[in-house]
Amino acid sequence: MKLLTATTRYYVPLVAGLFALASGLLLLRLNWALRHEADEQLYSEQLYVQRLVMREQRLPPTLFAYQLSRSTHPRPTGFSDTLLLDSVEHELVPHRQLTFQLPLAAAGQSTEWITIRKSLVETHDLLRVVVGVMLGALVVLLVGVVVLNHWLARRLWGPFQHTLARLREYDLQKHQPLSLPAPPITEFAELNQALNQLSERLVADYESLREFTENASHETQTPLAIMQAKVEQLLQTPTLTEDERTLTLLGELHQATRRLSRLHQSLTLLTRLENHQFAPAQAVPLPLDQLLRDRLAMLEPLLEARSLHVTLHIADNLPARTMHPGLADSLLHNLLQNAIKHNQPGGTLAVSLDKSAFEVSNTGPAVTGDPMRFFERFRKHNAASDSSGLGLSIVQHICAYYGFRVRYEYVAGSSWHTLRVEFT
Amino acid sequence: MKLLLVEDEAALRRTVVEALRQNGYVVEVAVNFTQAYEKIKLYRYDCVLVDLTLPDGDGLDLVRALKSDGSPAGVLVLTARDGLDDRIKGLDLGADDYLVKPFHLSELNARLRAIIRRRQFQGQHHIVFRDLLVWPEQNEVTVRGEPLALTRKEYDLLLYLLANPGRVLTKEAIAEHLCGDQIDAADSLDFIYTHLKNLRKKLQEHGADNYIRTLYGVGYKLSLE
Repeated sequence: MKLLTATTRYYVPLVAGLFALASGLLLLRLNWALRHEADEQLYSEQLYVQRLVMREQRLPPTLFAYQLSRSTHPRPTGFSDTLLLDSVEHELVPHRQLTFQLPLAAAGQSTEWITIRKSLVETHDLLRVVVGVMLGALVVLLVGVVVLNHWLARRLWGPFQHTLARLREYDLQKHQPLSLPAPPITEFAELNQALNQLSERLVADYESLREFTENASHETQTPLAIMQAKVEQLLQTPTLTEDERTLTLLGELHQATRRLSRLHQSLTLLTRLENHQFAPAQAVPLPLDQLLRDRLAMLEPLLEARSLHVTLHIADNLPARTMHPGLADSLLHNLLQNAIKHNQPGGTLAVSLDKSAFEVSNTGPAVTGDPMRFFERFRKHNAASDSSGLGLSIVQHICAYYGFRVRYEYVAGSSWHTLRVEFT
Repeated sequence: MKLLLVEDEAALRRTVVEALRQNGYVVEVAVNFTQAYEKIKLYRYDCVLVDLTLPDGDGLDLVRALKSDGSPAGVLVLTARDGLDDRIKGLDLGADDYLVKPFHLSELNARLRAIIRRRQFQGQHHIVFRDLLVWPEQNEVTVRGEPLALTRKEYDLLLYLLANPGRVLTKEAIAEHLCGDQIDAADSLDFIYTHLKNLRKKLQEHGADNYIRTLYGVGYKLSLE
């Protein structure tokens, strides 16, 4: 909900309520005042008639004929309301009437009850006008307030919207701080200033992280390369290799060096992916089908050793996909290797590639745990395994880098594990 | 065979030079870009091994210089960088091959062999080792004149061993040579055993006995005698 809508939601009922209350009070008060006025008039007319009678001892026959009724039957005296037919407008019109008793004893006549009336039509009209004006004012006020608010929102919240738009399109990869302007409104100026400082810190941190990654990659690979080369040369020394114990030690040392360097390479790759440090210029259109065939051919010894049966489905006329060659290779390789590693001896590996997806399925025992966590770093199905546990994490990062969706599915009945990469 | 190794890291340089000399190459070294540039302008080499990150320049510029001179020397790029980016650039510039540090020295030997073979002999070259005769471009192997039928991987394995006679080849190096250097061989080194067993059996059947020695737990070695 927009801030404006939210505030409008609060004050519209308030204004409407207050207005209704005020209108009601006004209506009652006005009604009372008008009635009182009518009563006063009637009362003064009563006095007039009484005085007239006192003077002449009889009533003139035409006096107030239209608003006077006489009766010799007793009537309840005092003020009351009534509806009378208006002879001109032919409709029932509310009247206020006053009934009183006339003791015409002097004239020898019997007691008469006189009722004098006053039309309330004008009073009603007045009320209608007042209420109408009030309601009109209410509507105009409400509309005015809403319009004013919208205008103010556009005008006053403009800098805020600008900041928001800039934040939305902000890309840390460009290594540029935000540098938002300082608008005249203090709150927004403070907000922009805080955001500017934040982005400057981010850029600085990102930059140092990037440098660290690059340096770490280069600086640690060199000593590792030296270690590995030295151990390999050591293995060529005949006197050392005669002794089986020394040989085993050297072999294990060599393995550990290799593992360390592989781990290092994988982590560096992950960091570079996270930091988006692959220049888009290096992405080239790649025939994924050819790449896949090459990869499978390379892994053939591994497939043979585990007696895995491979079924390969590649759709015809696949369009080339624009990717970084190294990343495409890494993606295919890691998915295939994962399917080989977690397969059972004599199992099946189904690979399919079409226009919209790449899918690798393998048979294998069910795995426990949340499938989403398979993509976490150093997540190993078998904790004792020598593998790095980074393969699927690399897959996920490459997919995220290219906006592909990757999903894991397991069909319990047939023990099929499927990893599906959807190119979107 | 005369090689130039351009590498600024002294410890690595010494080891690589030692390994290359053991394999019968004549090796000269350059420790920085300037030295390397001078040497490639002055002398002729069969192959130049270029480290990309040098203190005073970019190794890729050396590749460019070699190519613009029309040098017949093979170029093998060595890179400590991530490899993903440089290998494309290096190969685009005309380098013959690349190796990402850290590499196996035995793999370096195999790549060098392949480059020199392609460049110098246009494929009309054979390898002789004891009773073995191999024509790499024709994928033909004979033992005392008798043809030996090998699978693709067995053949690759044999060539790899022949590129490193007398050297101990670790299981990791063999696995990565056969399945690509991305292979996380830690879980699955046993497959090499099968291939070696088969190769050994075929050699034995043709009377080439005891060519391959097993070094238990470490790897294998092509025995010189």
